[in-house]
Amino acid sequence: MGGLLEGWIGVQNWIFETLVSPILFHFGLMSWFEPAFDAVEFFMLGVVQIAVIALGMRLLERRWSPDHPADGRLVGVDRIYTALNKLGVIPLIVFIVAYPITTEIERQVRVLGVTPPRLEHLIPWLRDHALVTFLLYFALYDFAAYWVHRAQHRLSWWWALHSLHHSQRQVTVWTDDRNHIVDDLLVTLVLVVFAQFVGVQPDDYVLILTIGRLIESWSHANVDQGFGWVIVGPRFHRLHHALASDDERHIHDHNFAPVFPIWDILFGTAIYDRKVRPTGVADARIDADNGRGWLAQQVTVFARFLRALLPGGERSRFSRP
Amino acid sequence: MSRFVIVALALGMSASTAVHAESVLVLNSEDASYSIVDRATRFEISRLPLGREPHHLAVTPDGKEVLLASTVTNDLVAIDTTNGMQRRVVRDIVDPYQLGFSPDGKWFVTAAYRLDHIDIYRADGFKLAGRIFMDGLPSHLSFDTESKAVFVTLQQSNRVVAFDLATQAIKWVAEVGKAPAGVVMLPDNKRLLVALTGEDAVVTLDPKDGAVVARLQTGRGAHQFFPRGDGRHWFLSNRIEGTVSMIDTQDMRVAGTIRVPGGPDCMDITADGKEMWITQRFLRRVAVVDLAQMKVVASVPVGKSPHGVFILKADAVAPGLPIRAASTEPVIK
Repeated sequence: MGGLLEGWIGVQNWIFETLVSPILFHFGLMSWFEPAFDAVEFFMLGVVQIAVIALGMRLLERRWSPDHPADGRLVGVDRIYTALNKLGVIPLIVFIVAYPITTEIERQVRVLGVTPPRLEHLIPWLRDHALVTFLLYFALYDFAAYWVHRAQHRLSWWWALHSLHHSQRQVTVWTDDRNHIVDDLLVTLVLVVFAQFVGVQPDDYVLILTIGRLIESWSHANVDQGFGWVIVGPRFHRLHHALASDDERHIHDHNFAPVFPIWDILFGTAIYDRKVRPTGVADARIDADNGRGWLAQQVTVFARFLRALLPGGERSRFSRP
Repeated sequence: MSRFVIVALALGMSASTAVHAESVLVLNSEDASYSIVDRATRFEISRLPLGREPHHLAVTPDGKEVLLASTVTNDLVAIDTTNGMQRRVVRDIVDPYQLGFSPDGKWFVTAAYRLDHIDIYRADGFKLAGRIFMDGLPSHLSFDTESKAVFVTLQQSNRVVAFDLATQAIKWVAEVGKAPAGVVMLPDNKRLLVALTGEDAVVTLDPKDGAVVARLQTGRGAHQFFPRGDGRHWFLSNRIEGTVSMIDTQDMRVAGTIRVPGGPDCMDITADGKEMWITQRFLRRVAVVDLAQMKVVASVPVGKSPHGVFILKADAVAPGLPIRAASTEPVIK
């Protein structure tokens, strides 16, 4: 384990010293070299995640898939989303926009003398039980993400963005990152501010994101497999992506939880069944996302978002409960 | 099993050399902890929780305590400089990223790196005398020898600002070069050295008005100073290059260079003057430099992004110090 860590740090250091720091220096950005070093680790974690998805999850999905193989054209755009997200392109853009905002919020709060509490201060026992502490922070983060996800469905303007994620007819292990960049920005803003207020450590935050996103990638897999009430699995989450029908008009307003289904159970939004449903969105305007590439999706969905912001803006037939 | 054996061996070895031993305290800024490393065995013997994002530390004027600054929780945790035991916690010191006492012990100053302000306290009781907001990441600070002024680098806005301690008024603000970081007033009280991380250089300022009067190229990512202890030489860590320059401040030249890989940052020197310990931020280690040989002789694994480092005056392996997540990774010599 120690050797693995040493190797990891060595690679991170090499990438930073060889590739990143000369660029920072050239452009006079040396005051950012510490965040840039962390960004290298984020990139490396992204490479690992892509490898896990491509070499592990995808193979299992192919072996266990109950229906025909996914349409390569439809799934291809999701691969682009995954690469752009996992390798840090989208997160970098989101960071550039979100960082000044979250920093200013933190600044205003702290100038008022409000100090974010930490669980270890409230429960000293946790100081010597790192794993339990990490799981509690993970659960708190997931709790916030659950409510953010509900808001994405409840608010029509947010649904205009989030519907891109749901428009995929062929949901696979690549679908998790299929989001509009403004949607990514809004989610990041809310969750980073939440994490700051509950005292999630930066290192824990990275680990929570890494583990959480891998679980979420698998929960989109086109397989009939589940983990019961412990962890969200494909059977549970694919119901959330189900195509609405006249019998189940609000089917995708269930099973919101990203990682821990307990939130859906507690708040009455859980459905456990083994019925296999087609996935996608019944609204033809949203379904049209499937015929578009990454850039066209970003442009048209942003226009959809703007129209939804206008008074009397358009509503999707099956968008909200 | 092997882990327990190694820990037991480390404790046993350090106990056997307790009379001469010193321990080294390292702040793990991204692990919310600090490590205690036994100097004799060069082994991390304990890792203890500490607020959030602890970066720097300062010794109290009486020398009895070292204050570990937890930036996000706004705390200073006071540690006994002899044995490493926690004594007290000073609350409500907002974002104490960088901190220091004036030479006369009357003033205590912090630089709030994230919140962009400099706080000047009366050291007796930590009563806030003035808070001055300055955009541009206040990062490092130094006092004049007469305890009349404090100088603070603003890393992102390429400036240095000088404050009058008694009035907390700004004396001057000067553009000095890209990404100024470490700053130190030399004993003659006439030359202020500033490390320019973005220009791989050290500039000499006139402390009266901040005018740049000299320049010395050092190494890539010139960052932080530490005195050799002879009144003439100062060490300077070059974060990107992975070196430490020894600067002869009399002739203003680089008198020697030590290779210290992994983003070397803060330093401290043992009481016998034989070793310098320096944090390797990127490698999650603290390096031991033999000052006679001017080279790294060991590198000890600690927590993530180790930043401040301090040599305790005696063996810190006292009963009651909990061992938590202490590293069992091999030491590289």
